[in-house]
Amino acid sequence: MKKLLTGAAFGALMAAGAAQACSPDFSGVTLSAASQTGPYIASALTAAAEGWKAKTCGTVNVVEFPWSELYPKIVTTLVAGDAAFDVITFAPAWSPDFTPYLTEMPADLRQGALWEDIAPVYRDRLMVWDGKVLSQTIDGDVHTYSYRTDLFENPAEQAAFKAKYGYDLGAPQTWSQYLDIAEFFQRPDQGLWGTAEAFRRGGQQFWFFFSHAAAYASHPDHPGSFFFDPDTMDAQVNNPGWVRGLEDYIRASKLAPPNALQFSFGETIAAHAGGQVAQSIGWGDIGVVVADPKQSKVAGTLGSAILPGSTEVWNYKTGAWDTFDEPVFSPFMAFGGWQAAVPQSSLNQQAAWDFVTFLSSPEVSGKAAITGGSGVNPYRASHFENAQLWSAIFSEPEAKGYLASQRDSIEAKNVVLDMRLPGYFSYTEVLEIELSKALSGDVTPQQALDTVAAEWNKLTDEFGRDAQKAAYRAAMGLPN
Amino acid sequence: MSEIDATDTIRGRDPMKYVFIGPAFAVVLLIAIFPLIYSLGISLLSYRLAPPTPVRFVGLDNYAALLQQERFWQVARTTALIGFIAVALQYVIGFALALALKAKVPGEHLFRVGFLIPMLVAPVAVALIARMMFNPTMGPLNQFLSLFGLVNLPLLTQTNYALGAIIAVEVWQWTPFVVLMMLAGLQTLPDDVYEAAALENASAWRQFWDITFPMLAPISAAVVFIRLIESFKIMDTVFVMTGGGPGISTETLTLFAYQEGFKKFNLGYTSALSFLFLIVVLVIGSVYLAVLKPYLDKQK
Amino acid sequence: MTRRGRYWALFFCLVWAAFTLFPIYWVLITSFKTPPAVNGGPTYLPFIDFAPTLDAWSDLFSGRRGQFFNTFYSSTLVTLFASVAATAIGAMAAYALVRFPFRVKLGAGLLFFAIAFGGYQTLTQGFGFGRFDAALRAFPSALVAAILVNRLRLPGPVLGNADILFWFVSQRMFPPIVTAFALFLIYTEIGRAGFKLVDTFWGLSLAYIAFSLPIVIWLMRDFFAALPVEVEEAAMVDAVPQWRIFLDIVAPMAAPGLAATFMITLAFVWNEFLFALFLTNARWQTLPILVAGQNSQRGDEWWAVSAAALVAIIPMMLLAAVLGRMMRSGLALGAIK
Repeated sequence: MKKLLTGAAFGALMAAGAAQACSPDFSGVTLSAASQTGPYIASALTAAAEGWKAKTCGTVNVVEFPWSELYPKIVTTLVAGDAAFDVITFAPAWSPDFTPYLTEMPADLRQGALWEDIAPVYRDRLMVWDGKVLSQTIDGDVHTYSYRTDLFENPAEQAAFKAKYGYDLGAPQTWSQYLDIAEFFQRPDQGLWGTAEAFRRGGQQFWFFFSHAAAYASHPDHPGSFFFDPDTMDAQVNNPGWVRGLEDYIRASKLAPPNALQFSFGETIAAHAGGQVAQSIGWGDIGVVVADPKQSKVAGTLGSAILPGSTEVWNYKTGAWDTFDEPVFSPFMAFGGWQAAVPQSSLNQQAAWDFVTFLSSPEVSGKAAITGGSGVNPYRASHFENAQLWSAIFSEPEAKGYLASQRDSIEAKNVVLDMRLPGYFSYTEVLEIELSKALSGDVTPQQALDTVAAEWNKLTDEFGRDAQKAAYRAAMGLPN
Repeated sequence: MSEIDATDTIRGRDPMKYVFIGPAFAVVLLIAIFPLIYSLGISLLSYRLAPPTPVRFVGLDNYAALLQQERFWQVARTTALIGFIAVALQYVIGFALALALKAKVPGEHLFRVGFLIPMLVAPVAVALIARMMFNPTMGPLNQFLSLFGLVNLPLLTQTNYALGAIIAVEVWQWTPFVVLMMLAGLQTLPDDVYEAAALENASAWRQFWDITFPMLAPISAAVVFIRLIESFKIMDTVFVMTGGGPGISTETLTLFAYQEGFKKFNLGYTSALSFLFLIVVLVIGSVYLAVLKPYLDKQK
Repeated sequence: MTRRGRYWALFFCLVWAAFTLFPIYWVLITSFKTPPAVNGGPTYLPFIDFAPTLDAWSDLFSGRRGQFFNTFYSSTLVTLFASVAATAIGAMAAYALVRFPFRVKLGAGLLFFAIAFGGYQTLTQGFGFGRFDAALRAFPSALVAAILVNRLRLPGPVLGNADILFWFVSQRMFPPIVTAFALFLIYTEIGRAGFKLVDTFWGLSLAYIAFSLPIVIWLMRDFFAALPVEVEEAAMVDAVPQWRIFLDIVAPMAAPGLAATFMITLAFVWNEFLFALFLTNARWQTLPILVAGQNSQRGDEWWAVSAAALVAIIPMMLLAAVLGRMMRSGLALGAIK
């Protein structure tokens, strides 16, 4: 199927390109693009490379590195000033460490219909650093909630649930409902467990934790105050909102399959696709895998929704909980979505930016978004509008639910951005260590988070409080 | 006695000796010396790549900070624990297997090839395979253990179990090294000594302790030494199986260095750590050699 | 050996073989599994428990998951060359350390270190030289000075063969993390001076040879030491040149040891990850990086990992069979006598 689509795309582009061969003309130019080992992202790059070659007569060589080594590889190359890569693809959380070495996107690429088509949260916030557009989003990332429609729409289950908990079974509006549902479906003797999330140190666990905490600690009236106090740069991670989030996260780990503490995101997908759990949270890949009969035992039962919210949010300014009538949804843009950028050491900057634009154009990226294994999730308005594209892999109700959950999350009023700070790994390392201790019960949630907060404040001082504050405000889209 | 002490012999003055040792010496010096000097220099600085901070000279502060950090000592203890237990097991089992192979068990050639395989698998692959096997719902080990009534052991999530799992994987992977070396050693043993012992009706056990073991003592010492040094650098297995967790209870020295050096790019600190690590291993190595020296000299 | 002893030996070997080979079997069948067959729980027998498929393999060869053929080719070339070179010059060095006395005065060694380190630091910090230029000036001068000083009568201890051997082995005690990074930096700088070393055959091979030598020397030393010196002395009396003694007499006698050491070096280099990661980019990336890359950001895809791991294992297995044969016909000392 993928080959058919790529072939079709190729053919279409060939036809279009035949009209004006090599425009703009980059014949003889060979670009090197660094990425993680395929198929995710790398296959999207390779597919785009074929199209680009037809259009401009330039070649792109995709160089792949293991995911956990991509960051050190890019840093060492940039720092040594090696001209090995013309395009680098990376996680937005790493951009503060790269920004001194990147080139700015050419001005003519930053306007027009194609530019406006990119969802605002990416276009105006994630791709921007210090007022400059230094990278291009080539993938969208947000955490959503997935559930088993066959279980949720079963009348017997619905009746039993309503009898036990007093409200209707459906996509949870708050995290406590989420936990109720997990408890309800925790049936180990039947091979069914409540939920699946990532809990393993080094297995993307902290993003899942952030998703829980966002609902309680990201106040709609105080944007940008989720991780740190934007005025003093004090760590917020040990306030009662965060603690509540951690307590929920720990409880979820007990309503999951037996080795859940070893789950990385991959195992989460596997658990849901293997029919072991009633619900899960995570990135859009869950939906794509679960709906695919070749990879899933429960194809056709995909229900998607925005992440649960909370009716109570902690207000750090007043030091008290604020109650709302309707749940406040704070979908978390976990990871943020892969970015592509052009290093200053590249010898082919113009060609590189042309390739990046081509890669993220609506046609090419749209095709990638529906190709399983490309790793590309929607980020352009046009991605969401073309439902027909999606029916290739989803059944119609699945597709509608999936797209709606993705779009609602990105466009939510209180959408929460992931943390982006210089020295990112130093901050997340201590978080991961304390999280794993809290999960195994060695320390209480409050103790774990207090340790993290103390360490974060120490790191902030070590790196320079003012510099970190400016960086944090820039990352959160606050004026300086 | 095969090592000559006096330089004032024909061999001592033979310039050929430089030709023999020259290439190796040159290559090692050229490639290995720069990283050492560079790291030593860096270890005296506060040098962070991410976030890019200005470089400052701090003298021995990095070393002092490390020695005062509880994490360093715990990590050193964990590494030593894993190393010593794993190597001890590797040596005993490996030697026994080499003896069995030498004694011409049926199917010896097949066993020989089969036994070698784990050592030939990339450590990265071994770690991934181990994680696959230890997975409670998707791997076979949990099923196997439940046959004995041990259901759902927290093999990778609780410290002591995790350490056992890591040691088991190390033994799986590196016993072949011992087998290979000891077998090669066994093959160079002269037959006449054994024939003489057989004539005297010496039991197999006596033959082993009085002839085989002492004659192989130098090779044994060398093999154990190399295994010890290499096992101090264990990283892939731990990284992939437990990530160093829970907390940092299974973290090893190289993993610690990796986190500091390649994730946080705190290079000054990492270099200091590397040198402390080197000192630790040097100390252990020297003690090991010193303890064994009188015993080995007896064999010569 | 008694018959009862033989049975116990056989039993022991069988148990260990099961322990050793079961994971390999597991990897083999997993490479033929579909995702649901993996995620649903452990399955053991193809065709009975699950329906085998070639998906993982076609993915691997198609290049969807990294450049397979390139990396295989790179791995093979670099490993063979580096292992042969390391075993050859390492064996020579080990022989020298066993048969010839060396004397290095500690003072000379310290002087070398002082000039190398001090010179490098002063040139880079004090005079702002680049790393390569500073090294180019400091290290050779240190070496020359040390050699000259060694001829003088210096106070202090004299280091002998055992110490030189220890120095060689100590190169392997240093954790590879910082070494890999430092090597990358110096390679980049040399590259800027005109001799590209990053992502080249020579750059990677040299690094591997340098870091395999310590093991080769350490292991071969004991094999050479176990050989009777009378045979060589007889040849020396006949005025046979030293290198002929080595090639025609000593090396064949130590064949089992050489074979074993060669195989170990081969295994180390073939499976080495960290240096390969830092010293290569597109052109010379090796298999271990490909294997590690299967452990993707979206989680472990066991079928892909298994296929990649098997590709890395199978050549090694063939080699083990070949070299095992060589070892079996290892010459017993009795034959020489």
